[in-house]
Amino acid sequence: MQTLVLAVTLALMILLAFVFYRVVRATNADRQLGDTNSRRSQLIWVMLAVGLLVTVASLREWPHALASGDAAIQVNATGGQWYWEIDRSELPAGKPIVFNLHTEDVNHGFGVVDSEGRLLFQTQAMPGYVNQVEYVFDTPGDYRVLCMEFCGVGHHDMLDEFTVVAN
Amino acid sequence: MSEAEIKPHAGAVKFTMLLSGLVFVLMMALGLIMRAAQGEFIELDPALFYQILTAHGAGMVGVAGLSGAAIMWYFVGRYVQLSAAMYWAFLGLFLLGVVLILSAIFLGEFGGAWTFLFPLPAIAGGAWEPWAAATFILGYVSIGVGFLLYYLAIGYPVIKRYGGLARALGWHVVFAGADPADGPPPTIIAAAAVTVFNTLGTVVGAAVLVASLVHLLVPGFAVDALLAKNAIYFFGHVFINASIYMAVIAVYEIVPEYTGRPWKSSRPFIIAWSAILLFVMAVYPHHLQQDVVMPGWILVMGQVVSYLNGVPLLAVTAFSLGVYLHGSKARWDLGLSLLVLGVGGWSIGAIPAIIDGMLVVNKVMHNTQWVPGHFHIYLLLGEVAMSFGFMAWLVRKGQASEAGMSTLDKATFGTYLVGAAGFTMVFLISGALSVPRRWAVHLPGWILQDRIGTLFAALVVLSTLALVLKYAVGLGRGQRS
Repeated sequence: MQTLVLAVTLALMILLAFVFYRVVRATNADRQLGDTNSRRSQLIWVMLAVGLLVTVASLREWPHALASGDAAIQVNATGGQWYWEIDRSELPAGKPIVFNLHTEDVNHGFGVVDSEGRLLFQTQAMPGYVNQVEYVFDTPGDYRVLCMEFCGVGHHDMLDEFTVVAN
Repeated sequence: MSEAEIKPHAGAVKFTMLLSGLVFVLMMALGLIMRAAQGEFIELDPALFYQILTAHGAGMVGVAGLSGAAIMWYFVGRYVQLSAAMYWAFLGLFLLGVVLILSAIFLGEFGGAWTFLFPLPAIAGGAWEPWAAATFILGYVSIGVGFLLYYLAIGYPVIKRYGGLARALGWHVVFAGADPADGPPPTIIAAAAVTVFNTLGTVVGAAVLVASLVHLLVPGFAVDALLAKNAIYFFGHVFINASIYMAVIAVYEIVPEYTGRPWKSSRPFIIAWSAILLFVMAVYPHHLQQDVVMPGWILVMGQVVSYLNGVPLLAVTAFSLGVYLHGSKARWDLGLSLLVLGVGGWSIGAIPAIIDGMLVVNKVMHNTQWVPGHFHIYLLLGEVAMSFGFMAWLVRKGQASEAGMSTLDKATFGTYLVGAAGFTMVFLISGALSVPRRWAVHLPGWILQDRIGTLFAALVVLSTLALVLKYAVGLGRGQRS
């Protein structure tokens, strides 16, 4: 996901930077522009159409959806200054896991990274609320929990681990 | 009073821009120190790192607001008579706020970040005392009151002169079919819109600041953390966006001097600003997309409006700039180059911001270094570039038709561009590699990126210092009145 996002972003940024470069170069152009209002309208309609398509495609499956009923394994995780408490240290691969996020004090961010350090998902832990996030681990191995919301002087020390085992 | 009789408060604005330039350099130096510490070029105690992080964030957001406000004051002052006393009161309250914030951070060791996310100021884990948090919050309140005075000082004469807020926003052109030539100038439309949304943003910010202050004094008084988070991000998002929307007025007013083509209040321009007025306030939920207890429709609104927000920027502001420049034979100097860079950087920076606003992307990019990546693009290469463009124009020698760039100007501009582009790209790449933001100590695998980022940051600091020195020398020589 992240590699694709970076590639698409850089491609669009380079394209727009090139347009600006052309704009700067065109300061000395002798040829006059045509109907700029019509071009502007076209640009707006293209942007709206692309936006609509991307919005529908990206939200067709709700990114925060949770498995219904007993299908998911429930895991409680609590953040505090500056530790995580997770009530299970081993989780099965291939099954939906729902993490119920609590906090003892301030806002924290529950981010899970794989053995290569790639962030798989995250959600916030917030006073007075339980935030739920679901994930299916495909690969057995060790996973690390990071704090993704600034929570004070020990923020960077809020690390924990759990293991995913073959089901 | 005719427009010819109205004079902007040039001296006050020039002084403010000098202050802004110096603070920009200082805050960039703090940023450089943080990147150097993450890259293990230097050792920094984590507590001090987070204090510097707080000073850097609050300082940069504050000075972006200040420089934007000075630009808007200068150009609105071309159309309506503004009160110099109100401006000095605004500046005085702003500086009082700065003193309080710096005291809280470097005397009281407050390190709760510029976003002061409730209830962190009161629950410090022993890192700072409640008085430090209270002083920090009072500093914000002082700055907020200053900005409310500022918008009162702008809003009242604008409304009086143009016959109401709706007419100042140009709505009689869009909704009542009036000729665009009878609409207010672009500067007034922009100023009216910014006055509305940043007044609302500041009031919401003041409410959550006061609630946080009461919570510090009476711990039994608690605010709903989700409500506070909404209020803080509404305030923070609106405030930092207002700084850019105020600074872009310099583009509307200065670029025509070079192109010989006045920036017009066309119907698309007026509609764009009405859309901006709405979008700037409606987009803030894109900061809350990992707060899954938020109603789903609000999160969807955050994603959709985040995208829509790019339409007026690209299809109106950037597009119009291209049209006005095309074939204009404008002569390039440092001022024009930085102003055009400002619009370009702002537009390009919107791309990673919009992509991060997608829920599915946000799940793996939120609070990684992708975030400072995108906001540094549209601030460093956007608002800051526009501010320095305005400053270069203020002290420019001669007329636009005689403009040119010296070798030193070209070197400064090139270094700034390369430094800022490299610095922000490293952030984006680190974000894609899942490096979290706001970590004082980095894992070994992240150090190389931090070191490369540090080198680019050094280029930014050096070139910005050169821009400030050029401005200071220009002021000393008394160029342009």
